[in-house]
Amino acid sequence: MQTKRTIFPNKLLPYLLLAPQLAVTLIFFIWPAVQAVKSSFEREDPFGFKTTFIWFDNYKRLFADPTYLNSVGKTAVFAVSVTLLAMSVSLLLAVSVNRVLRTNRLYTTLLVWPYAVAPVVVGILWWFMFNPSIGIAPYLLRGLGINWNHRIDGSHAMLLVIIAASWKQISYNFLFFVAGLQSVPQSLTEAAAIDGAGPFKRFWTIVFPLLSPTTFFLLIVNINYAMFDTFGIIDATTSGGPAQATNILVYKVYADGFLGLNIGSSAAQSVVLMLIVIALTAIQFRYIERRVQY
Amino acid sequence: MATINLVDLKKNYGSVPAVKGINLSVKDGELIVLVGPSGCGKSTLLRMVAGLESVTSGRIEIAGRDVVKAEPAERDIAMVFQNYALYPHMTVRQNLEYGLKNRGTPREEIDRRVKEAADILEIGPMLDRKPRQLSGGQRQRVAMGRAIVREPAAFLFDEPLSNLDAKLRVQMRVEIRKLQRRLKTTSLYVTHDQLEAMTLADRLVVMNNGLVEQLGTPTEVYDRPATLFVAGFIGSPPMNLLSLESIAGAPGFEGLNLPDGTDVIGIRPDQLVLDQPTGQNLALAASVELLEPIGGESHLHVRLTGSNQAVILSVPGRPDIAEGAAVTLYARPADLHPFNRESGRRTDTAVANP
Repeated sequence: MQTKRTIFPNKLLPYLLLAPQLAVTLIFFIWPAVQAVKSSFEREDPFGFKTTFIWFDNYKRLFADPTYLNSVGKTAVFAVSVTLLAMSVSLLLAVSVNRVLRTNRLYTTLLVWPYAVAPVVVGILWWFMFNPSIGIAPYLLRGLGINWNHRIDGSHAMLLVIIAASWKQISYNFLFFVAGLQSVPQSLTEAAAIDGAGPFKRFWTIVFPLLSPTTFFLLIVNINYAMFDTFGIIDATTSGGPAQATNILVYKVYADGFLGLNIGSSAAQSVVLMLIVIALTAIQFRYIERRVQY
Repeated sequence: MATINLVDLKKNYGSVPAVKGINLSVKDGELIVLVGPSGCGKSTLLRMVAGLESVTSGRIEIAGRDVVKAEPAERDIAMVFQNYALYPHMTVRQNLEYGLKNRGTPREEIDRRVKEAADILEIGPMLDRKPRQLSGGQRQRVAMGRAIVREPAAFLFDEPLSNLDAKLRVQMRVEIRKLQRRLKTTSLYVTHDQLEAMTLADRLVVMNNGLVEQLGTPTEVYDRPATLFVAGFIGSPPMNLLSLESIAGAPGFEGLNLPDGTDVIGIRPDQLVLDQPTGQNLALAASVELLEPIGGESHLHVRLTGSNQAVILSVPGRPDIAEGAAVTLYARPADLHPFNRESGRRTDTAVANP
C-alpha cells in the first residue's frame, strides 16, 4: 500500500500537531508505567515516611507466595475459558445472522447492545441473576438438583465470572466476525457447494480458514480483555472470592495495593502482568505474520 | 455427456419477475451461449441450472433427470465463475482436488485427473502455487481446470472472460472453444459480449427482459434477426433501423415489394455500399458526418437527406471522403430486413431470402 506523505514546510509544526497525543500518552500511560516499575523495586514503611530501594525482593516474595501462584492459575483458567466461550458463541451467532437475509440488521443491532453496558453493571446484572437468595438462575437450577451458591463454592464463582465476562465480550467479537464473514466472497461458498461440500464442510474448509485473520485478531483482543478489562465484573460479582477462587491477577493487583496497601508487591504484580501481555502480544503477532496468509 | 432441458422455467424475486418462462433444450455435447444486455435474466437462468438460485416454477432436466429440488452438488455440473472463485488459501492442486476429495474419489484417480487437466491447460508448473501468485489468465485456466477434473455432465460458464484484458480474452475464447470441442461436454455459456457469443456458440440464445428473443445458430441470428431487439443487439456496428417514411421517396423503393405491416427497415452497415451494384437497388441520398478509420475498414456516419436519420455503414479501406460531402447509399432488396415496430417482429416469413 502506498502511504500518503505530507511535507511540512516548518520543522516545528508536525511536533506541535503531535503534542496533544504525545502529552496524553506520556502523562497517562508512560509516566504511570514508569512509576509502577519504580515502586516495584521499593518498600514503604507502614506509616509512609520513607521508602527503601530493595532490588528484586518484591518479585522474589511474589513468586514464593502460594496465593500469587494460585492467582496465576485462576487467571489462566479464566482467560482461556472466557476467550474460548466468547469467541465460539459469537462465531456461532455471526454465522447464524449471516444466513438470515431480511432481519440481518435487526439481529446485528440487538446483539451489539451488551457491549454498551458498563462492566460493573454487567457484574451486577449477573450477580442478581445468580444471587443464591433472590436470583432466578439458582431457583431454576435447584429444579435440576443443583444447589448453586457462588458465595461458598469456588467453582460456581469461577463459572459465574466467566459467563459474565464472556457475555459482555460476545458483542464485540460478533461484530468483527460478521464483518469478516461478509468479506468472504459468496461465490467461494457457491463454488464449494457445486464442488460437493455440505454446509459444515464448506464452513470448516473454506469460510473458517478465510476468517483466520479476524479470528487471530480477536484471540489477542480477547485474552487481553480477559486479563485486564474484567476488573469491574470481578469486583461487582465476587470481589475475588470465595477463598481467592476468582482472584485473578488484575484483581489481586488492586486488592493487594489498594485494600492491603502493599504498594511494592502490587507494583511488582502489575509489572509482571505488563510483561505477560507484551510477551503474549509479541508471540501472537509473530505467529500471525507467519501463519495467516493466503 | 448429457442433455439439458429447461421447461417453462420462471423466477420471481418477490413480485419482480426475472425469468419469465424459458424453454430450451441443449443437445448432448452442444455449446449454447446465452447472450443479452445486463439484467435480462441470463445469469439468473444459469444460476438456476446450477442450483444456486431457487426456481419459482418450471422444470430443469439434466441428463433426463429433474433436478429442480436437487442440491448443486447432486446435479453433476461444474461452473466457472466470473471472478473465478478459486479458494485463496489452497494451492492450485488443492483447488483442483477439492471437488474430487469431497466426492471420495480414490487417490490414484484424483492424481490422474489432476495431471490430465494440468496437461490440457498447461498449468502443470503452477500446481503448487497459491491463486494470488497467478496472473488473470492463469487463474482463468485453473478455474477451467477445476471444472474439467470433475468430468461433469455439463459445464456452466458465467461470463468467464469478462475479467480479462481484451487480448487475453480473445485467446482464452479460442481455448475454451477448442477445449469444449475436444471434451464434447454439454455447455451453457453466459455472456453480454456479442462477439464472444457469435464465435463460441453452436447455438445462440438472445435474451431480453427474462424472455428468449431468438434461438438459432450464430449465422441464422445474424442473417435473419427475428426481432427488432435482436437486430439492434447482434452485430457491430449495430444494424441501421430506418422508419419506412424516411426511405419512402427513395429511388428503387417502389420495386421493393415489402410484406404487409412493415414500418421499419433494417440494413446491416456492411450491406450498404457507395458504388452502385448491378440489378435493382434502393438508393438513399445522404451527407457524410464523420469517417472513422478502424484499420482494414472504416465506419462512415451519414445522415439521410430529408429525414435526417443517422445511418452507419462500414466501407472497405480508407475512402477519401470529406465530411459534409453528399453520397448515395445503395442496398440490395434481398439485404433489407422488414420489421413491424408495434410487435417488434419480422414481417416476412421465416424462410430465408436467396
